[in-house]
Amino acid sequence: MRGSLPLRRALLSLLACLPLLGFVPARAAEEMALDRWPQSRADDVASLQRGARLFVNYCLNCHSAVMMRWNRLRDIGIDEAKIKEELIFGDQRVGDTMTVAMNARDAKNWFGKAPPDLSVIIRARNTAEHLGTDYVYTLLRSFYRDHTTLTGWNNLVYPNIAMPHPLWQRQGPRATTIERVEREEGGEGKVQSHWMRVTSHFAPDGALRVEKAPQDGGPESFSVRFEPADKAQAAAYDEDVADLVAYLNWMGEPGAATRYRVGVWVVGFLIIFSLVARWLSRVYWKDVR
Amino acid sequence: MTSALPSDDPSGGKTDGERRAALAATAVLGAAGAAAGAVPYVLSWGPSEREKAAGSAVDVDLSSLPPGQMKIVEWRGKPIWILRRTPEMIEGLRKDTERLADPLSKRTTYTVPAYALKDPELRSIKPEILVVFGICTHLGCSPSGPFAPDENAQLGADAGFVCPCHGSTFDLAGRVFKNKPAADNLPVPPHRYLSANVLRIGEDESA
Amino acid sequence: MGLHKTRYTGLVGWVDSRMPTVMETFRAHMSEYYAPKNFNFWYFFGSLAALVLVIQLLSGAFLAMHYKPDANSAFWSVEFIMREVSGGWFIRYMHSTGASFFFIVVYLHMFRGLLYGSYKSPREIVWLFGCTIFLLLMAESFFGYLLPWGQMSFWGAQVIINLFDSIPMIGPALSTWIRGDFVIGDATLNRFFAMHTMMIPTILIGVIAFHIIALHDVGSNNPDGVEIKDHLGADGKPLDGIPFHPYYTVHDLYGVAVFLLVYFAVVFFAPELGGVFLEGNNFIPADPLQTPHHIAPLWYFTPYYSILRATTQGFLPWVAGGVVALGAVAFLRVRGPVRFGIAAFAALLVALLTVPGVQLDAKLWGVALMGSAVMVFFLVPWLDRSPVRSMRYRPRWHTGVLLAFVAAFLILGYLGMLPPTPLRTVVSQVMTAVYFSFFALMPWWSRMGTFLPVPERITYRAH
Repeated sequence: MRGSLPLRRALLSLLACLPLLGFVPARAAEEMALDRWPQSRADDVASLQRGARLFVNYCLNCHSAVMMRWNRLRDIGIDEAKIKEELIFGDQRVGDTMTVAMNARDAKNWFGKAPPDLSVIIRARNTAEHLGTDYVYTLLRSFYRDHTTLTGWNNLVYPNIAMPHPLWQRQGPRATTIERVEREEGGEGKVQSHWMRVTSHFAPDGALRVEKAPQDGGPESFSVRFEPADKAQAAAYDEDVADLVAYLNWMGEPGAATRYRVGVWVVGFLIIFSLVARWLSRVYWKDVR
Repeated sequence: MTSALPSDDPSGGKTDGERRAALAATAVLGAAGAAAGAVPYVLSWGPSEREKAAGSAVDVDLSSLPPGQMKIVEWRGKPIWILRRTPEMIEGLRKDTERLADPLSKRTTYTVPAYALKDPELRSIKPEILVVFGICTHLGCSPSGPFAPDENAQLGADAGFVCPCHGSTFDLAGRVFKNKPAADNLPVPPHRYLSANVLRIGEDESA
Repeated sequence: MGLHKTRYTGLVGWVDSRMPTVMETFRAHMSEYYAPKNFNFWYFFGSLAALVLVIQLLSGAFLAMHYKPDANSAFWSVEFIMREVSGGWFIRYMHSTGASFFFIVVYLHMFRGLLYGSYKSPREIVWLFGCTIFLLLMAESFFGYLLPWGQMSFWGAQVIINLFDSIPMIGPALSTWIRGDFVIGDATLNRFFAMHTMMIPTILIGVIAFHIIALHDVGSNNPDGVEIKDHLGADGKPLDGIPFHPYYTVHDLYGVAVFLLVYFAVVFFAPELGGVFLEGNNFIPADPLQTPHHIAPLWYFTPYYSILRATTQGFLPWVAGGVVALGAVAFLRVRGPVRFGIAAFAALLVALLTVPGVQLDAKLWGVALMGSAVMVFFLVPWLDRSPVRSMRYRPRWHTGVLLAFVAAFLILGYLGMLPPTPLRTVVSQVMTAVYFSFFALMPWWSRMGTFLPVPERITYRAH
């Protein structure tokens, strides 16, 4: 048997097929598609400054950011005097870190869970499926009033979240309608399960009205509709959240911009160095037979 | 059969020149790259933001400091003495000159900032407020005091501080007395007044 | 006067007359070490591995100057390095990227060995030292990954140490002894820090030194698998060899430059590499009370993790089938009384796999298979019966077999990063079978087919 072409072909085509078998996705039935955070805000200094202000006013009461030093805000163009006068409440110094008064044990008693530190929250929410920025951007805009929860708030991205809506005043009231098409198991005495369209309507004050209508068949689906009382306010809120996420993203790695800047030089140098090293190698190997 | 290595070739003039040029270029670029790569490592030994913040200036409120009393605050891990001198104490400073090793703070081991030497007998910005490191210039112990005249055997009729380790004595301007183990006056930290009653230690006027 | 005679002048002469070992070593291993002329792309990875070792040692040492191996401070000390230490982020990213690149380089280096038969006589010891280095490297990265004390660090270590629980009789006690506590905690972190920064690097450097010494004792292999020492010139030097220095020093310098280009591109522009090099979950401080949705080890462990997960209860009969088939072939082909020993051992394994009451846990078999998948590399010099070293002169389909193994390895690796589904588990099981078949059947497939005549001298293309 010499160089069997058919066998080689068979092996190669088998090899080619095998990777495909791994690609079968496994998705949760009711995974909410995340909105995209506007990436352009990542290095928009004005946006970062607005976000910093929102962060200090709305998040820093419960959440700490223990790795963020107040004076680092100079990097996004806020000078020390402004930091001290407008952003630091209480008697912290500008060289201190963004710690908070609430301790973890109290937090657990009050909320059921200690509010996580936000220093690297965006990086912590980066997964293979989504970016941390998209996740937090969608989460902060997916709160809805729900009388059935402890805090009166619920969240579409993180169901039964322990956190109340911190920015509800800025968002303004809105009604939320969630529509699910799902298979409902037959009750006692019934044999078959049947498809239902379940529409849950949450009024701005949290009152819930549920409508169920039988459907002929699947597939499973999930959709949400919001009706804000003041459309302009809701749109302004979206802008706020974009700024806040920009700030959180920056806070996760304040040195990122420097990293890119230095990186361009380093990679540029290494390209040149590679060419020179190649020249040196060729010069020596030129006459080797 | 001999091997055909260019390095064996005796007439390698042109080859040699190109080799030298390539070697030089690689060496220069390589050295530059290595030096640049070493920079962050060397810098990493410098004080980090945490150390810089901890070492940053300390503000002290003097309104609650009565005359004759001394306050001790910490700056960069060292004790700073803040003494509100009475008129009698200041008078005493004018009289002890012959007993002092360096009455005009001329020695250069520790540079006293110019703004504290406007009156070299007082060694302070405000005549009544002394601001010095509370560390004996002999071997680093923290002296005891302040003592009034005739309150301490080692000071005798002078007012001042006494170091418990080897007996060096200092007057109420931090100046060392003669024939003591310590040779230098107590060092003065950079400092300035933010207002009549708020003293900032760690920062000069120039900052 | 006691000074050695020296051919050198100046400072070098001064040292050489007092410590001739320095220049002797340089001559023996660099300027008069003759390496084959025909090294190709696959021969860069040895020197690159040494480079990455140096990178990891340096960056690791500087990280240890600021890192705190205490369960309460560890996570935050890493962020302290990233934000507050001058240049700290650069050192950290060098170390995390370096860890992944170490495995990329080492896997490619091992592949070269399989491709050109570098493990065959007289280089078996070089290969054995190399396999030891591979094991040590896995241990080093396992200990190191706990140090950032993130969710993935904690739970990854928890899962792997819990595997030891399945060892009969001593399992739970062993796990507790490894941890120093009933659950992973401060005690574990402290000892893993000592292992990662002191113990393993020291041993690793020693074994790497022996690896290179063993290689230099027999001389390097080459892509043609031809012994260059068989043809010496009038000067006693191999005709197909060239001095390592300066020819391979400059050649490898070029390789280093290109490597650093790719490496630093990642360090500066994509250090997380989409969660493959730095996982998102590891930016959450370790929480013993909450397991992340999806635990996966770092990418370089995923092929072996896949094999572990693939070994389900349902897979055991197939493993038993494989043991029976292999035992039967061995019984028929091996001569002498040892064949009965082989048969008895195979029967024992089958019993432990399938017979109720005697059967060992699938979890334990998973550990056994995962361990075997790594240890089997040690046996390759004796499993391979090819009369020819290099794939170039073997039947073409041998390359196909090797590529099938590589494909299985890569697919197992990919699946190991994903949550398991029934289909993925079946695919993993098939790939596990391919992986083990490559080794288990090697004594036979490596001898089959028509081999091409091996040239006397190397084939060299001027460049």
